[in-house]
Amino acid sequence: MRSPDDRATDTMSALNQLGAVTLMGLRNIPNRLGASLVVVISMACVVGVLVSILSMSSGFMRTMANTGRSDRAIILSQGALYEFASALSRDSARTIGDADGIRKTGDGKPIVSAEALAFVAVTKKSDGLDAFVALRGVSPEGFALRPEIKLTDGRMFNPGAHELIVGRAAQSGFEGFTVGSVVSLPDGDWTVTGAFESNSNAHESELIADSATVLSAMRANAFKSMTVMLDSPESFDRFKGALTSNPTLAVDVSRETEFLATQSKPLNDFLEVTAYVVGGIMGMGAMFGALNTMYSAVSSRTIEIATLRAIGFGSGAVVISVLVEALLLAVAGAVIGAGAAWIAFNGNLHTVGGLVFTLTVTPALVGLGFAFACALGLIGGLFPAIRAARLPISTALRAT
Amino acid sequence: MKYFPLIWAGLWRKPARTIFTLLSITAAFVLFGMLMGLNAGFANAIEQTRPGRLLVFPRFGGTLPLAYQEQLEKIDSVTLAAPLMGVGGFYRDPKNGILVVSRDQRSFKMWPEFPITDEQAQALIRTRTGAIVSTKLAGKYGWRVGDRIPIQSQIVQQDGSKVWTFDILAVVGDVPNLALGYMLGNFAYLDEGRQNGRGTVGFFGALVRDPAQADKASRAIDDHFSNGTVQTRTMPEKTVFQAALNNFIDIQFVTGAVIGATLFMLLFLTGNVMVQSVRERIPEFAVLKTIGFSDSGLLGLVLLEAAIPCLLGACAGLGLARIAVFSLPSGINLPLPAVTPVVFLAGIAIAVFVAAASGMLPALRVKRLNVVDALAGR
Repeated sequence: MRSPDDRATDTMSALNQLGAVTLMGLRNIPNRLGASLVVVISMACVVGVLVSILSMSSGFMRTMANTGRSDRAIILSQGALYEFASALSRDSARTIGDADGIRKTGDGKPIVSAEALAFVAVTKKSDGLDAFVALRGVSPEGFALRPEIKLTDGRMFNPGAHELIVGRAAQSGFEGFTVGSVVSLPDGDWTVTGAFESNSNAHESELIADSATVLSAMRANAFKSMTVMLDSPESFDRFKGALTSNPTLAVDVSRETEFLATQSKPLNDFLEVTAYVVGGIMGMGAMFGALNTMYSAVSSRTIEIATLRAIGFGSGAVVISVLVEALLLAVAGAVIGAGAAWIAFNGNLHTVGGLVFTLTVTPALVGLGFAFACALGLIGGLFPAIRAARLPISTALRAT
Repeated sequence: MKYFPLIWAGLWRKPARTIFTLLSITAAFVLFGMLMGLNAGFANAIEQTRPGRLLVFPRFGGTLPLAYQEQLEKIDSVTLAAPLMGVGGFYRDPKNGILVVSRDQRSFKMWPEFPITDEQAQALIRTRTGAIVSTKLAGKYGWRVGDRIPIQSQIVQQDGSKVWTFDILAVVGDVPNLALGYMLGNFAYLDEGRQNGRGTVGFFGALVRDPAQADKASRAIDDHFSNGTVQTRTMPEKTVFQAALNNFIDIQFVTGAVIGATLFMLLFLTGNVMVQSVRERIPEFAVLKTIGFSDSGLLGLVLLEAAIPCLLGACAGLGLARIAVFSLPSGINLPLPAVTPVVFLAGIAIAVFVAAASGMLPALRVKRLNVVDALAGR
């Protein structure tokens, strides 16, 4: 009968073996530095590219996530897929504002904003090409609706006048939005009276002015959309039910978070597919490189490995030592790659259409890069490790 | 090429190593081909725009009144103006998004690059619910001439229905700028069928008499409508394309950076393999020198040995890229990537460069080899 102590001793000795073989392999790396560096460099390239492209998608998604709140709802005319395609009459806007489930201000006004939209052609600072920035007209309660909007510079616009305030991101991404400058709109020039920040969300890429003034300047009589603050996230269903069952209204009601998720899906999908296709193909290249390196590492250690096996080391220890070596090289590469992506791109401004956002290298992305490098390293190490374990000891020892 | 067997034997000394190297190189060139192809596709799209064709948009977003068409043609420098609008929707499943783009007498003339015969064009204009679809789109859904196609749309028709039906009159060739294909419908049906927004269009195309005066004509148009119900913003088609394509992603920067990183990686991979392979065979090279191979002959031998996998991998990779670009998943109708002869030649040139750069050091080592030392294993 073997006692638990014996089994513990067995485990200890297996661990000791493993440690000894692995250390021996790692100490040996300087002798084949060139080949090992190849794994590090190629993994760094793959992880760097993957993380850089995905930082676009994560920056974009963070901006969108900051924009939406589950206790706000957006109302568009029935069938409109995006704000600009929608039209809500003044009557509809009034009816919606009176609906149940909307939070009220201190003096009893519903917190809603019936919004007008116009697009202003601007020049991108990055490449001098054209882009369109949204001018959003908001109702007087628009700032109670979006408390995240804070003036950072200048003063608030005067509702009756041709005045507007500009988001921080729009200011840094496009030409001509300094406080005091003028923006050309349908009936003449509008003055930029201030700049605002808004929790780094999509509104920071917009211009904001008074809804009624924008509407009359556009010679339009219908709002584009309406956003309301709900009593609580749970009152959404009640609110939506009230609007959709009202025969005088033909509207679609969505939670702001869900609406934005639908809006941002195509671009996010495109960026992710690009990242995975590019990263996947590069990763294949790097994996074959790692296979080469690890095969040559095993073959340069043939005699050493055969000797260890001959004096009683298990083949498991040998397999794991090769895998550990491949993994360590891959992880070293991932550190360099993710670090380079972070230094080069994290915080950079990027413009897609009229939206300006910062590229973001999140911990999740770095984790993904590491996981990818480890997977490639494991595959690259596995087959050479199996070969090492299967080395026929006698012939290997005779080899020169 | 009598030394070819010798080079070949050198390559296959360690088959696994050569195959892995070849696969690495192939993967790198698949990526190179796809990205350069994407770039070339974008460049093509911009290149193929007509210099004398302007696009007239509503200045502050929204739509333009159809009545602007006549006014546009009255402007001195404009010879033809054609409206464009579309009905968007999907076929059977919301995933199958589709945009039916309008065509009338004028817009057929405005965009003659679509491969449509006069008879087909006239048939569409005569048939209210007619449609012309491109081969790619027809192939995707198995549509044939004579089929009646329902398109689910968010745009409500006069009778309250949201299903627009189209009779396919012709299946025609694709155009490179619309990678997912296209579908054309009768302008009158699309415009008048709508419950809301009748008589408004997305934008106009305007041909100008003198392409060299395109900028001046753009200003003339915008000035003309500066007091209109809707103000316009007119730009040459090329400017619009450039802005639209770059709006999406800075394609040149992304492709440049990715290709740079890939080549950097490739140089190390192949360089390391060449160094290893030559190191193992130093005594053999010494023997070759002893039996009379010249220094520069051996240099060439090693360089060729580096060049073969590079060139094979490049050809395989570029070939695969050519196939792969057509199966890229994309919900967005971007220009078709084109692995053009130029892209192919650039790939081959880079393969030669990689071969030279990775083979040069080991080749020089072999060239300078001291026979006595090498044979003695020193």
